[in-house]
This record gives sequence, structure tokens and C-alpha cells, in this order.
Amino acid sequence: MTAAIAQNLEVKPQAVTGRKVLVAEDSPITQDLLRLLLNQRGHQIDTATDGLEALEALRKNQYDVALLDFHLPSMDGAQIAASIKSEANGRRLPRLVAITADIEGLLASSSGENFDYIIPKPLHIDEVGKIVEEQAEIGDRQPETGDAAPVPRPVEPRLARARSETSFFEGFGYQFLSWPEDVGTTRLSARGIQATLGDPRFDALLIKEPVSKDDFATLWRRKALYALPVIDLTGTLGRLADLDGSKLSAHDTGELDRLLREFRDQRARLNRDLLLSDNLGEQLLGRVFISNRPLSAAYDAGSHGLVAYNTTLAGSTVAHEAEALCEEGLLQREFFDRFHVCARCDSARLHVREECSKCRSSDLVEEPYLHHFKCAFQGPESEFRRGNDLICPKCRRELSHFGFDYDRPGTMLVCRACGHAASEPAVGFVCLDCGAHADSESCATRDVYSYHLTEQGTGFAEYGHSFLGHARHVLRFTELPIELVVALNAVAKKFNEDKTPFTLVNIFYQNEREIVSEHGARQFAQARDLFVENLRASLGGSDMVVKGQSYDFVLLRGIEPDQVREEFDVLKQTGERALRLDLGVKFQAFGPEDFS
Amino acid sequence: MWQLVSDGFNYLASQSASSLLHLFWFVIIFEVPRYTLGFISVAALTIRTTRAAPQSVDVGRVSVVIAGHNEEDSIERCVLSLREQSRQPDEIIVVSDGSTDRMPEILRDLEARGLIQEAHCTQMRGGKSAGINLAVGRTTGEIVVNVDCDCTFDRHALRDILEPFADPRVGAVAGNIIVRNPRASLITACQAIEYMISISEGKQAADLTNQMSCVSGAFGAFRRVVLERVGGLDSGGGEDLDLTLKLRTAGWKALFAPDAICYTDVPVTLDALTRQRFRWERDAVRLRYRKHRDLMNPLSSRFNVVELLHELDFVIFNVVAAMVFPFYLIWLFVTYGDLAPMILMGAQVGMWGLDLLAFLMAAWMTPKANALALFPYLPAYSPFYGFLMRFIRLAAYLQEWVLKASYRDPYVPQKVHLARK
Repeated sequence: MTAAIAQNLEVKPQAVTGRKVLVAEDSPITQDLLRLLLNQRGHQIDTATDGLEALEALRKNQYDVALLDFHLPSMDGAQIAASIKSEANGRRLPRLVAITADIEGLLASSSGENFDYIIPKPLHIDEVGKIVEEQAEIGDRQPETGDAAPVPRPVEPRLARARSETSFFEGFGYQFLSWPEDVGTTRLSARGIQATLGDPRFDALLIKEPVSKDDFATLWRRKALYALPVIDLTGTLGRLADLDGSKLSAHDTGELDRLLREFRDQRARLNRDLLLSDNLGEQLLGRVFISNRPLSAAYDAGSHGLVAYNTTLAGSTVAHEAEALCEEGLLQREFFDRFHVCARCDSARLHVREECSKCRSSDLVEEPYLHHFKCAFQGPESEFRRGNDLICPKCRRELSHFGFDYDRPGTMLVCRACGHAASEPAVGFVCLDCGAHADSESCATRDVYSYHLTEQGTGFAEYGHSFLGHARHVLRFTELPIELVVALNAVAKKFNEDKTPFTLVNIFYQNEREIVSEHGARQFAQARDLFVENLRASLGGSDMVVKGQSYDFVLLRGIEPDQVREEFDVLKQTGERALRLDLGVKFQAFGPEDFS
Repeated sequence: MWQLVSDGFNYLASQSASSLLHLFWFVIIFEVPRYTLGFISVAALTIRTTRAAPQSVDVGRVSVVIAGHNEEDSIERCVLSLREQSRQPDEIIVVSDGSTDRMPEILRDLEARGLIQEAHCTQMRGGKSAGINLAVGRTTGEIVVNVDCDCTFDRHALRDILEPFADPRVGAVAGNIIVRNPRASLITACQAIEYMISISEGKQAADLTNQMSCVSGAFGAFRRVVLERVGGLDSGGGEDLDLTLKLRTAGWKALFAPDAICYTDVPVTLDALTRQRFRWERDAVRLRYRKHRDLMNPLSSRFNVVELLHELDFVIFNVVAAMVFPFYLIWLFVTYGDLAPMILMGAQVGMWGLDLLAFLMAAWMTPKANALALFPYLPAYSPFYGFLMRFIRLAAYLQEWVLKASYRDPYVPQKVHLARK
């Protein structure tokens, strides 16, 4: 059953059956937008503009999913969730999804635990519909499976977890997914599905039984799971895991705490494009970013290519994907080693041996030869041997003094299979996997590298596709905040009617990373807010300033992009008023023709 | 100069037969008989040309052995020319004799390319004999062809050198050696004429009279059983002469194959040539009058009239001629005083006449030698051969007899010299 659903989710991510959804949202724009969006996808929408109204609706009607804005008048989302859960009394509850710009805050408060899922603000158009449908599906299967039911009891305050063999790890207060209960080669529990939606509350994946690298591939085929640190309780994964939990004691959680904290921090910085990407290359890049460690190659006798990286993918897969990322300038190589590889099966597990250059047998014996000075006979020592004596086979004289009447100018290697002799053996390889033979001259080689994130790669990890898009001067609609899309639709309509021009200005903060690393993310966020507020204060009522995830935007009505471009300096000065940090602001202007 | 030549000619022309004999007894005794050998060979050639065209004979597997010390520059060219043969060698075995250059690497490469079958690289130099012996020990062929690294071969050279082995009494066959670098200097041009007249033509004559006493190490073929029976090469220089003398006295025939042509570089400078010839002559003296002196002892079991002939040939025309020549010059100057240069010039004019005759015959017998290009150098040949070489020989003989210099020759490693004494 689990498998069937998981498969369903994968094959038809947009499998739509009409759902009943409650939207509790105080902003009428967002409310309209969500209604429009979800209606389009065939769902039935009820709306509530304050907390009490929402609670009332939940009590009265049966919903599949409730989208609750965290900040609502009269009662916030968390309170609604807590109330409805406490009243549930066995009634089937809708999936409770929080919408918030302050995920960390929500997670920090205990009320966060009442939500099944959290959608971060600003909203992504693509995501919301999908999340609603996926949450509804999870809700569908709960009464039947039972093992994953988020029974709203105080005794089970957190996300329900599979009941099976538990480790002391699970008593540390972290949210763990377990292999194989939550995630397995064919299984994906409700919690697992939740994690694939990028739910930020999961901390790590515990590996409770040995897993092969091939089996781990299923981990990467799901979204977002790759972003969790892998803790190996079996002690069999070695460096594939981020932490070898089999060696940790219950008292020694420092390392665990540090690891999970680091991963969580980095995961929060990772752009959702990458977190929820199903492109293996992007996932790998995200993984490097999150783990904050380069992809370092190491010898691995167990694998075909003899190389394993510090992640749960086969070495060859990592190399393949990483090379493509190098092409794009997102990763950078560092030479690790050169391997000889089998031409037939590409395995690097080769048996190296000295062999006969003629018949390729390795049955070689070393035969020293002697030079008898007096008669110039030079031949194998065995021909001289007469018991303990050395007798020249040519002149029958005894060789009595090394260096005076004979010496050993060298040795030859004689092949016992074919009789061929040479001064030096040939070197050959036999493939341990397919048995093919290659000699050292004709054997192909493969260079193996470790991979580091480049500046470009870090940028991509933090800003997602828009980073690359920015570099390529392309505006991506899916990046735009929903309210901006609505507004753009309106101005575009007006432009079509009476040719009233408009300009969208994209604000990009070039110095973001520097400021974050020097002064911290808070400082940057404050400076950015101030910049946006300054702009908002100085612009007219018909103009719109919108905060996005990576960029901010200004929509100016009735003006051509070229005119705006001339005003960039003024705009910049206006925004930077009273700003102590240099954000490195860059503008890009787009007009109606850019949106055609 | 021309005046001197014409005076010489007039002087020669004005002499009666008895006075010619009186003045030029040296030339008549020591030079003229040499040329008569040429006439004999021409006669032989007329017989030879009536024979059937050369053809391949089945002599079994053929192994080529090469031993060289620091021959990185020449070994590949040598092997490639062997691989161009119409009769391919069945195997080529090369020994790098303690080389310190890149020769071992080149051999490895040649072996990897399948151009040679075995390569052995000794760590210590053991001398040419030891190197060849090592290689011969690894051969599997019935016929072993020994070549020098600095030689290259005509396409049919191998086929032609194998042909005489159809006769089971033949134990060794010498190839015909032509100078590859006649244009390098006057010295090499003279050597090119020398190789044509006295080596090619001389061996042809020797072959005819069963007097082939030296199958050159540059290009010679041997039956392997013969090599085994005589114990391969012995230590010390002149191993080719030594080996030939050994196998002849063991009852095998040694022949000359004039069509089996091999090219070699000869010394370019007089200094290098002098060193080479000193070595050859010293080794000849050592081998003939020390190691194989029983060949001239009528009481020895190895004594044989046939062998006596080439021994006498060597004694008279090489040793005695070289010894007597200075006395002849002294006698001329003492007896005739100022007339002596004129008389010598007269002799020279006569020699030129004989040279021309010999040259033409040699050119006819060895068409490959490109005689036409050498013709302008012909006048330099008899002063080169009759004077220079004779003095070098004399000095070498004296050095060997008195000082036993061949026992210190750097051609052979010192450790071998020490063991031989």
C-alpha cells in the first residue's frame, strides 16, 4: 500500500481529485490568489479572514486540507490548530498546513508541532497546489495505515513515527526518519512523504539496517530526502554516512548536535529550487552545499570503480553528475588519482601482474646469467650449476672468483609457459569483474577527482535557478512572488488595452554573501528591509515594491524601461538612505515586450 | 705535380725489362700478385654469371642476433632494414651490452611493436663476444645471422646469404660489405674503393680458392650447430676472424655471397680509421701467430695445406710487405739519391694503371658499389692503401708483437683482458 502510494505520487504528481480546502488568510490579495489557483486545479475552496472564523469553519465542515496563515486576526494559526486538535476526539481532521514567513519561529514554539506541514512565505505558485494535493493524499491513507497516523494526543505531540525497533538516538528530541521504516527501497511512509516535500522539521535519516549504494538511489529519486544528514547505526556505511552512529554513546551527543545544527543551518540557506529538485545534479550540488564539505573521493575496494565519495551515491554516478556541474562552473575539480580501467566492463578492479610479453602468462621465473670472461660464454646460471660448483658449459673451467673470472651482468625472465625470455617483464591487467585482459600499453585510464563548490555553485545553491537566470539576464516567472504576478497580469492587461507602459525592476543584492558571512544573515535582512522600505516610501501610490525570496521587485506603472534605466542611480541613492552596509544593489529593468 | 707525373711516366717508359725488375722489385713481388687475384675473380665471375638466378633455399628457421653497446642511434634503422627483407628472419634477438644510453628503452619499444622477438639488456658491459654468445644461446633457428648495429641491408641480402647453406658442408657465409658514407671525407672515399677492390674482390677470389678466412661480424651467417660445436665466440677482439679460423679447422666450409649486400659506415677521420685498423691488425697478429699458430706448424694435428695458403698470403702480403717497405724506400734513396722521388713516381704511375684495371673489374663485380661516383678518388687510393695503410699495419704489428697491445684494447672490457692473460 505504501509503495503503491509512493509510486502514485511519483508517476502522477499532479493527480488531481477535487479536494475540499479551507484557506485562512487575512490578506485579500493572497486569498484571491489562492482561491484562483486552487479552483483552477479543481479544488473546492472555503475562505476565512480571521482565526475565529477559521476555527468555526473547521468545526462545521469536513476539509481535506486547511491552509492556515500563522498570523491571523483574533487567533493565530497555531492556536487554531491546537484548538481543533484538542476538540477532535477521534474525528478525522484535515491536514493542517501553516503558511508563514517565520519558519524558525514557528518551529521554535511548541505550537509548530500541531501542523502537518509548513509552507514558507513568500508563496511559490507551483508549490502550493502540489502541497495541498500531496497533503490530502497523506490524509487519505491515514485511517487505513494507522502506523503513520498523526494522532493528536499529548502523548504523541510530535510527528508520528513508525513504531519499530528504536534506538537511543530517538530519545534525543530530534525528528528522525528511519531506514527502512520510513524510507526504504520500495517503501515511503507518510512521514517520509512529508519529508520529501521539504518539511524543515526533519533532522536526519537514521540507517538501521545495512543498505547498498544502489538501494540508496531511491533516496535521491525522492525529493528533499538527500538534504538530510545520514546517520549510520549499522556501522557498515563508512564514509558514505555523515555520522557513524554505531560508535556514539548516549552521553556523547556533541558531535550529533553539531552535525544536525550545521545541516539545518545550511538547509535553511539552500534554495528551494534545489531542495525540491528532482534533478540529480542539482541535488548533488545541494548536498555539497548542505554538508558544507567537498565531494571527496576515497579508495573503496568494494565498488566497481574503486572510488567512493562521502555521499550515498555510487562513485560513478557522483563523478558523472559532478563532471556536468564542472562544465557549468558550479563545481571545481581537484585531482585524486588515475585508475586503469577494463575496456570491456569499465571496472577498475584489475589484477596487476608481471607477465610474458608473448603469451601473457604470469608464470615467469627469474634466471640470472653469468659471463665467463675467459671464453666469453654468457648464459643462464642453471647451465653453469654443477652442485655447488659453477662450471663453464663451454670451456669446462670452474668459475672461482666473482668479478675476476666471471660476473652476473643481468637477469632474464623466462616464461615457463612459452619459453620466451626478456630482460624485463611486461605488465598486464586482468579484470576481476569480467576476466578481460589488457596490457599496460593498451589499458585505458580514468582520472578521478574530488569536487569543491565554486562561488558560482554557492550562488546557485542559495538563489536557485534565478541565480543562473540572473547571470543570463532572464527573468523567471516562477520566481516571482504571487502578488507580483497578479499585479503584472493587471498591468499587462492594461498595456494590451491602451498601451500604457510599465516597468518591472529586479533588485539584486550583489554583496549579500559577503555581508552574511561578515555581519550575519540578520544584519543583511535588516539592511535589505530598510532598502525596500526606503523605496516604498519614496515611490508613488500606483507603484509597487514587492519582496521576493532572493530578489526584490519594483513595479512601476506608466513608464518605459529605458526611462527607468536612466533613473537607476536615483533609485539606488533613494534606497540606500541611512544604510550603513553596502548591499551592492544592481537593477534590471523589464518592459512589456520582455513578458510577451 | 703534373710535370712530376709525366716525368714518372717517361721514366717508367724508358726502362728496360731488367732495369724495371731491378728498380721495382718491391712492387713486382708485393703488389702485382695482389692484382692478379683480381683477374682470377673476373674469370670466376664469368662462370658465376652463367649460373641460375639466385633463389630462396629452404634452410629452416633463421635467427638474427645483434649485440651492441650504446647503439641508441642505429639499432632501430638496423632492425627496420631487416624487417624489409624479402626473406624475413624468423626471429631477431638483440643484446644491449651494458648500454648506458637509451638503447634498452628502444629495444623494449621494438619488442612491444613486435619488430624484435627478444631483447636482453645486461647491466655490465661484457664485450661483443659475450653479447653475441648470450643471444645465440636464446636462438631457435638452424641458421644464425650475426649483424652489426650500424649496418643496413639490401632487400634480398638475407635470401642471398642463406643460399650457399643449401650445401650441407657450408658452415659459414660472409656477406658483401659496401661503404655507406663514401662522400663523408676523402678517407671514407678511399675506404669505399678499398672495400670494393680488396675486400669484395679479395673475398671473391678467396672464395674461389677456398681461402675465405674471415666471415665479418658486420654481416655473416652461421649454422647454429657449428657455433655450438666450436663454442661460439671467444673472448678478445677479432672474434670474426677467430670464429672463421675455428670452424674452418673443424672441417666446415666458409663461403662468400657477393650479392648479399650490407651497408656500413666507415670511420670518417684519419684518427678513427687509424684506431680501427690498429685494432684489426693487432687482433690478426694475435689470432694468427698466438692463438692459432699451430695452423702453421707442420707437426700440429690442425696443420693443413689449405689453411697454410691463407696464412702465407697474410704473412707475405701483409706482414712481410709492411716490414720490407721501409727498407725498400731507404734502399732507393741511398742508391739513387735525388732520382728516388722520380723512381717512386714511376712506380706510382704503374700502380695507377693497375688500380684502374682492378677498379673496373671490381665495379663490374659489385655494381651496387656506385663505382662511377668513386672514380675521381681513384688516384688517391694507392697512396692511401700502399703507403698509409702499410705504415699503420707495420706500427700495429710492432706494437702487438712487442707490447701485446691487443690485451689492453678498450674494445674489450678490462675485466675480460685480465681474465684472458
